[in-house]
Amino acid sequence: MSTFTQPTSTEKKPVSAEVVGQFSWGITLIFALASTCWVLLPYTGYMFAALVFLLAIVLAGVSWNRGPVLTMAVMSALVWNFIFIPPQFTLHIDKPQDVIMFALFFIVAMSMGHLITRLRKREESLAQHHREREQLLAAKHRAELLAESERLHRTLLDSISHELKTPIAIIRTALDGLDEGNPFAAEIDTANRRLQRIVENFLEMTRVESDALKPNLEWCEIGDVLHAATTPLQRDIAQHPLVITGADPLPLFMLDSRLLAQALRNVLHNAILYTPAATPVEIHVALENNLLQIRVRDHGHGFPLESVDQLFDKFYRAPDSPAGGTGLGLAISRGLMRAMKGDIEAQNHPEGGAEFTLHLPVQFRQA
Amino acid sequence: MSKALIIDDEQQMRRLLRMVLESRGYEIYEAADGPLGLQEAAFHRPDVILLDLGLPSMSGIEVLKRLREWSDVPVLILSVRDQENVKVEALECGADDYVTKPFGTAELLARLTVIQRRRFTRQNPEIIVGKLRLDLLHHEASLNAEQVKLTPTEFALIKVLAEHAGRIVTQNQIVRLVWPGQQTDQSEGLRVHINHLRKKIGASGPQIINEPGIGYRLESEGEG
Repeated sequence: MSTFTQPTSTEKKPVSAEVVGQFSWGITLIFALASTCWVLLPYTGYMFAALVFLLAIVLAGVSWNRGPVLTMAVMSALVWNFIFIPPQFTLHIDKPQDVIMFALFFIVAMSMGHLITRLRKREESLAQHHREREQLLAAKHRAELLAESERLHRTLLDSISHELKTPIAIIRTALDGLDEGNPFAAEIDTANRRLQRIVENFLEMTRVESDALKPNLEWCEIGDVLHAATTPLQRDIAQHPLVITGADPLPLFMLDSRLLAQALRNVLHNAILYTPAATPVEIHVALENNLLQIRVRDHGHGFPLESVDQLFDKFYRAPDSPAGGTGLGLAISRGLMRAMKGDIEAQNHPEGGAEFTLHLPVQFRQA
Repeated sequence: MSKALIIDDEQQMRRLLRMVLESRGYEIYEAADGPLGLQEAAFHRPDVILLDLGLPSMSGIEVLKRLREWSDVPVLILSVRDQENVKVEALECGADDYVTKPFGTAELLARLTVIQRRRFTRQNPEIIVGKLRLDLLHHEASLNAEQVKLTPTEFALIKVLAEHAGRIVTQNQIVRLVWPGQQTDQSEGLRVHINHLRKKIGASGPQIINEPGIGYRLESEGEG
């Protein structure tokens, strides 16, 4: 109904207002020049008009489109013939040399118009090319800078990681050399492990916040993920019976098992840290449509409702937290899950205890 | 007496490792960087090398590559965590296993013992890992003297893992050994066969442990 209101599509290239303007200006110019030459005709002769017309065509070709310029060429040839070449006011030409002149004028005017507009087109495309090249170069430069800063960041992270972990490793090895029954050694060991966890959390948080974290997808079994998540916690988890359900008949998943295991490990570590000894921690794994869900439920006191929004914030620590945490574990878990296009949520279970749900869109395949 | 070469730029780490290993009867040589390490390796012909990945001037990977040009001495990689891709690269360049710093002495010694075991030779047509016995002559596997029915692929797979019992084998290494000459991605197939093998071996046999992002390790005796 309202096709008029549609914006003109650029593909069809309809005659634009600019080109229409050039046509009218062109025709006006020809008539203006024709009148001027008509006035000057007694002093200059009729060849003068032809040269003036040619000059006008050349100048028009420098800035106008090909259509108007060629139209001007045809028009001026006809006008010249009609008005200036004797016998005047007919298209008839008497002298054979005038016929040749007319033909030459026609050819020269047409080819000048054509050549000059083509030259201009080429110049424009060259300029366009040049602009694109500049843009590309600028984009390339930006990408190089970005890669360089990423590399620098990674190198820095690696060297800090090395510097911080080496003394921790030395303390650990040295402690192993001491008598096992030494209670002081046991205290140093506990503190050293705590230090190690803090350093690892800080480094991991930095990594999660930079874009250095790229999931490395591969087919894996959920049992392996659970194993990788719980093995490093063995010392702490011994006090809490771990109940795993739903993992057995699940298919293979396409995911980064290391990142998922780490996200899960932090949640588990949290559950162990914040619940009374001997209370069980339950892990339930389920696949719903394309969504892998891992629920971790503990049997502690849950968390205060008003803190639900802050749980995953950096450095947030619940009011009654035991000492020894960094307040980074859950923030890292969320960062990891989001890096994998998933997320993590928390709620208090209706029957008591906190429940964390890690979910992740996955590709899966029956094993 | 076994000779061990420690290549690590941290003097304190070297000193500690020396104390730990000397108390277990090792004769110790030390090197603080890659080029020195290679010289020491050529000069003293150690029975095992402990190689730190984060060395100055020449990277641990480069040291390993040059070493492997002329030596097949067992190499244990010492690395900090979060270097999974580097660990895989090191393993595929010929390292035998790795421990992650900070490591416990017990873990370190266990890994050293495993990689120093004489590599499997073909003179004996059977491999025994815990309660699992592989008869390479008849392509038969048995668990607690009871035969386990394995498909040819599963047998090839458990054979690769058993030959490296206690040691990590990367996914690529397994795929190359089990499906030689195949170009297509077999990682999915590998998972499926591992899954079947685990079910057939059950909880009583040696466990196949997955190390995320790296590969598999068949638990040998004394572990786990």
